[in-house]
Amino acid sequence: MNNFGVIEVASQKTKNAPGWAYVPDTGLTPAAAAALQPLNRKRAARDKANVGAPDLTARQDAKIRKDLEALDKDSHRDAQIPIPPKAGGSRGALSSKLYTQKRDHGADMTSAWIAQNKHTPNVRKILQSQKTFANHLDDYHAFLALAESNPQLAAQVNKPTPTTTARNSPAPSTITTASTNKRSSAASKRAAVTAAAAAAAKEEKAGSSKRPKTQPQPKPAPADDDDDGDVEMTPETTEEATAAADPSELLPPRPDTSTPLDDSTTETTETEPPKPQSYPPDGTILPAYARPPPVPHPGDDDPLLVSRVPPFPTDEELRALMTAPPLSYTEARAQWTEEEEGRYPVRRFCEVCGYWGRVKCIKCGARVCALECLEAHREECLVRYGL
Amino acid sequence: MAGGGGGARKSRAAGPVPLTTTLVLDNGADTIKAGFVSDDKSDDKPRIIPNCLARDRHRKIYVGSELEKCKDFSEMAFRRPVEKGFIVNWEAQKEIWDREFFDDKAPNKCNPSETRLILTEQPNSLPSLQTHCDQIVFEEYGFASYYRGVGPVFNAYRDIQSISRTPQVSIDSPAEVILLIDTGYSHTTVTPILQGRPLHPAIRRLDVGGKLMTNYLTRLLSVRHFDMRNEPYIVNEMKEAVCYTSLDFKGDMEKTWKGTRGEKREDYVGGAGIAKDYVLPDSHTRFHGVVRDYEPGVSARARKTIVSTEDVLTLRNERFVVPELLFNPSDIGIRQPGIADLVKQSLLALPIGLWPGLLANIVVVGGNSLSEGFCQRLQTEILKRFPDECRVRVARPEDPITSTWLGAANFAKHEHASRLEVTKQEYEEHGAAWVARKFAAGLGLDS
Repeated sequence: MNNFGVIEVASQKTKNAPGWAYVPDTGLTPAAAAALQPLNRKRAARDKANVGAPDLTARQDAKIRKDLEALDKDSHRDAQIPIPPKAGGSRGALSSKLYTQKRDHGADMTSAWIAQNKHTPNVRKILQSQKTFANHLDDYHAFLALAESNPQLAAQVNKPTPTTTARNSPAPSTITTASTNKRSSAASKRAAVTAAAAAAAKEEKAGSSKRPKTQPQPKPAPADDDDDGDVEMTPETTEEATAAADPSELLPPRPDTSTPLDDSTTETTETEPPKPQSYPPDGTILPAYARPPPVPHPGDDDPLLVSRVPPFPTDEELRALMTAPPLSYTEARAQWTEEEEGRYPVRRFCEVCGYWGRVKCIKCGARVCALECLEAHREECLVRYGL
Repeated sequence: MAGGGGGARKSRAAGPVPLTTTLVLDNGADTIKAGFVSDDKSDDKPRIIPNCLARDRHRKIYVGSELEKCKDFSEMAFRRPVEKGFIVNWEAQKEIWDREFFDDKAPNKCNPSETRLILTEQPNSLPSLQTHCDQIVFEEYGFASYYRGVGPVFNAYRDIQSISRTPQVSIDSPAEVILLIDTGYSHTTVTPILQGRPLHPAIRRLDVGGKLMTNYLTRLLSVRHFDMRNEPYIVNEMKEAVCYTSLDFKGDMEKTWKGTRGEKREDYVGGAGIAKDYVLPDSHTRFHGVVRDYEPGVSARARKTIVSTEDVLTLRNERFVVPELLFNPSDIGIRQPGIADLVKQSLLALPIGLWPGLLANIVVVGGNSLSEGFCQRLQTEILKRFPDECRVRVARPEDPITSTWLGAANFAKHEHASRLEVTKQEYEEHGAAWVARKFAAGLGLDS
């Protein structure tokens, strides 16, 4: 054993000296290797700078957020525009349905005029509400959170006014979307809400037995119409559906999973149901292509021109998709998935003229394109200290 | 409108006959599209009503279609009942509806107790807002029957194949398979539709719409030219007139760069076909802005003499940077994928076997799609994100703004409408929650 002449003195005592330590050197880790020799120097420099002094400092981040909020507003200043009084006096001719049910229109007008402010309690509440969309959204989220932590209470909150606040978060939502985990977790949260609310509404309807709680119970064939007055509930999205939507399948369809099609030109993809054979025998949701096939082409039999069409989803999958309940407002908002976030560098623009922002201002980090714009920027850079 | 008035009068004369008149209402954030459909006589196109209360600089207030009477749009302020695509402020919305449909002198007068209402809403609404809507429709107006449906889905009832110019023998109604992109005032949504049923798990939304783009243009102009922050109407007019979707963003960007200090770049001086002059309205002789070709020959001094009479803005990269937000929202720091990735995310939630059909039948509606080059750019961007073998077609109807209404008008005549509608009696019997559930469940499966 080559110990370079160092003789180890046996000792039970270990002492951690501050500042340095022996560590085993197991060769270069990929990360270390990349740090030593970056593939792309420019990019490495940029990334490194991000570690030390983040490109988006907290202040710039706050600025972006503020700017976006401003862009989202309807108007620059809050416009308080009152509803103008009606000229002529006769208003809200049909404001109360109680009066309009008379067929006599002459009487109708006068009585409606008297009853101008007679709204039903629900309507009055809605009209007087000054809530904004953000308020409604927060309410909804608060309700979801409440349902998650305390289903009983949430059910009670919902209970006293069955027709006003109503439990109309539409149907159970145990749908699992393959693309994001967030969506499915939020969906299960919503399922909890519906379950809670279903409990509240149990006495309201005898048919509540039809309401599945959250058991994944694939229904063979959902009731096909709503004539019976009850809503049709949805089984979970089948596993096949989610599996087929797996991102790894973004690659062109592989021959082993696809049914080769050799009866038409390369444009077969355009006519959506390509060939009856590619359907499951009971494919009834999307009927087979029954119209005359395209004009034969000499290249039809050419093996090089064969289109490969991915297997068509089964009726089960389609049924699950078509009867799935709507996502909630937040779930439907498109977001970058984790691996996509930051896949492409964010483009930066000159804050003065809008060309590429190649240069950063030393003081505030704002991007500008060249000297001329930098000078223009500097004039106001000092002023903007308090931003 | 004449057709509507006629229909209403007719049914009134006939007494309680089965409903023949339907009020089709596409209640957008910017404009309401409204018209009547009945068996014998229907409006073939909707009336477009601004959905706002507006106040001009003399503090006169205009409600809805009264805005047509307004001439001077400077310093116009707006109050809109629809927020993020959903009706939030019913006080204002009711006022506008009353004046347009229910008052004695309303232009589209109708008697709700004898009319069916078909109302569009944006996908993924909040339950509380949906309930409010149902309650107002039945308890306040007392419509005889009513259906509230997801707006984009109604487009399936149009003749989609003729929009994409496919020769065909018969017309499917509803269309078999569509991927509908609706890019409106509040946001942009992607909705895959199969046989007239939306595939809810795959609906995605991008929070970039016409409003955000107008505000962004306002900001750019305020930094570079004049303070336009109190002129939303004028800026919006300008946006509609000059903005286009760039097919070569980098190239256009180079062409509009002024260059480093002292440099005179030919493209910049000559305008490169991109620079345009926009003459602002002066509120005396001209009430609408005018687009002019950029004149490189006019020297700075000559311009100065003109400036005394008119305000001219030279627009360069502002023209294409604004619609670019739909494709790259990250340009202004919005952490969301662009419209092409939106399509991709939506399709990832679906079985791969549906992709070819959806990609070959992409239909774009909504006002933003009117920007020049939008469809072409969208098609190339989507093409890049999918396997080569998928054929991608992006089609835009001639009338992208009223397309949803036209679809809904066809829907009103379709048997699906009678299956989906809820009568007032049913509402009174079962309550708002039941109605909401019925609408959410939609058509069910049989076809």
